[in-house]
Amino acid sequence: MPLIPRKFIERKARQIIDPVERLRYLQRRAGVPQDRLQPAVSWRQRRLPVLSVALLLVSLLTPGFRASHAKPAFLLGSIARVSAAGTDLVPDVWLVDKTGDLEIYSNGLRIDDRYTAPNERRSFYPVYQSGAGPDIDVDHPEWRSEPAGIVYHTTESDQARFTAEENARLKRIGKAVIGVVQQNHSYHFLIDRFGEVFRIVPESDVANHAGYSIWSDKSALFVNLNSSFLGIAFETQTQRGDVPSANPAQVHAARILTEMLRNKYRIPQSNCVTHAQVSVNPDNMRVGYHTDWAGNFPFLEIGLNDNYTAPPPSIYAFGFEYDAVFVHATGVRLWQGLALAQDQMQTQAAARGLSVSQYRAILQKKYKEILAALKAAEAANDNES
Amino acid sequence: MRHNDKVNNFAVGLDVGTSRICLAQRVGEEYQYEAQLNAFVTIPYSKMTENVLAKEKVPHTVNGQEIVVHGNESDRFADLLNVETRRTMDKGVLNPAEPDSLGMLRKIVESLLDPVKERQKLCFTVPAAPLGAEENLTYHEATVRQIFNDMGYDVKSINEGLAVVYSELESSNYTGIGISCGGGLCNVCVSYLSVPVLSFSIPKAGDYIDSSAATITGERANRVRIAKEDSFHFNGFFAEKLQQVLGVYYDEMIQSLVQGMKQAFANARNLPRSNRPLPIVLSGGTAMPEGFRDRFQKMLTEAELPFTPSEIRIAADPLHTSAKGALIAALADA
Repeated sequence: MPLIPRKFIERKARQIIDPVERLRYLQRRAGVPQDRLQPAVSWRQRRLPVLSVALLLVSLLTPGFRASHAKPAFLLGSIARVSAAGTDLVPDVWLVDKTGDLEIYSNGLRIDDRYTAPNERRSFYPVYQSGAGPDIDVDHPEWRSEPAGIVYHTTESDQARFTAEENARLKRIGKAVIGVVQQNHSYHFLIDRFGEVFRIVPESDVANHAGYSIWSDKSALFVNLNSSFLGIAFETQTQRGDVPSANPAQVHAARILTEMLRNKYRIPQSNCVTHAQVSVNPDNMRVGYHTDWAGNFPFLEIGLNDNYTAPPPSIYAFGFEYDAVFVHATGVRLWQGLALAQDQMQTQAAARGLSVSQYRAILQKKYKEILAALKAAEAANDNES
Repeated sequence: MRHNDKVNNFAVGLDVGTSRICLAQRVGEEYQYEAQLNAFVTIPYSKMTENVLAKEKVPHTVNGQEIVVHGNESDRFADLLNVETRRTMDKGVLNPAEPDSLGMLRKIVESLLDPVKERQKLCFTVPAAPLGAEENLTYHEATVRQIFNDMGYDVKSINEGLAVVYSELESSNYTGIGISCGGGLCNVCVSYLSVPVLSFSIPKAGDYIDSSAATITGERANRVRIAKEDSFHFNGFFAEKLQQVLGVYYDEMIQSLVQGMKQAFANARNLPRSNRPLPIVLSGGTAMPEGFRDRFQKMLTEAELPFTPSEIRIAADPLHTSAKGALIAALADA
């Protein structure tokens, strides 16, 4: 589409009498329109299409990379499900200034870049069709390259009392935590006890934050979220019950950081989740291998919907189970999501005339096929590099 | 009309609405439709009742000590028995408060469609997420899709507002705004050369008007709906309280729709830049009362949206618009 003038397409379409044929023609030709509402692009931005083409060519020559054979994103099949596009409202946030190692944003966010440690670049990562269940096409995923969501973590590091007398100790521990997460490329961002935001791994790179993990939005199912989701860690320890795990300064920082990232990468609210919600253990096929932010993540205070009530796709899409330990670690809000996921799986099993255990076995097999494919691709990339 | 009785059908469109399910097919150059109420009612079992229902060819299912009457006849039986019909869907998606929702939806669908042996394209409508919420519609869509998959169809889904565009805006190359005012939701979609660039839903629609008016008047919502469909119109003087109340809630619904559009347009950044005025098409049973278009236009003008509509019109066949759009999408994909 971008190479064919819009007026030509419109004129040609008008010559087609049959409404179905006309629609077919437009769907083939009409991609994302050239004349979108956008600010004037800078030279740097103009370079992006060229870089994208170059990156695509490099990717196509990379063993293990397979361009999706699915129809382009602008065709009906894939686009009909992104129906909420543009309605998940995010405040406008922009970079006001960048001086030395400090970025200042229009919503008050300040990001300290002094400890940034680049890691492996994010290249294309596969996503699978959401809601397809056992019919997921493992061999033909869609490939994406932009961050699709955020996973919130806790560092589970030592905690000094949050008082003025402990200031020196608080700072010392904070510095040590930065050192550890920097060395391990653990997260993209760290929010320390004073609410200061540090960029650890650039967003263009992969951070080792999510491990075996699963999440899904309306159209896409993500497996192993290191590449697809950004990681934000709070310097804190998970507290049980209603005791907040983060202090007000951290919550405020998380809110404005989340606003900036959602605005920058068009991340939907539903893809802002906690590590406990996405973490899985393939060895025993149970959810909640990690339980950080399992029960009291302040979704609402951070300006998000309460995503605890969303059914974990690990359960309904891949047949994972949960045990008493996980239930003990979670709060009532997450139980709703677990129950809903369980219900969904039962309904899907019944719809296929299968028992729950039969259906679960099929889903688990599908997950293992995906995992094997991901590992094979990873091995191929390692060999290549 | 059962579609297998018709010749040469390689695609079907289905509008799966909160209130009605409508099937569309093309036979030659003609579009044909069949609809069933997406509702059911249970009556106590007796052999005699069952025999009467069978004799009268009333779609029903015996379920233990109950007989379930579903589809169009449920309305009449609910009125006879002075009970509310039960709904398989609420606000555009499967009704979470109705334990039999899935089974009954399947029954109603089966009364419209037969299973097919050879893969036949079927496209059904799905709602957009409510404005300002990122509601998970995956479960609804996947579950409904499964029903059709089980019947042997090659299934696609389409946003309901986009279906309105495909049905009505061929003349503008499928560029414009399609609005479907149904029972559970009002769905809005802005399309540019057939590509949906913005869509959302508003959870105030026909059911909201019925239930709100029923609360005020003490009537059953079902009766309010029948009265609304029979005689309500805008710009008239009503001595009857029910008609007055309906007018109030209709205004509230339209105002929510217009304000929703204003909000969505203000916040959307991926809209194509175009100075060309956009046509707006209104469809769905809730948009049918006389005067609806004028009332909508008045409120839209007052709201000062960031675009000028080239025209605002009611769809040619409002009850069947979404089904026809789904059929066109299915045919284009076949």
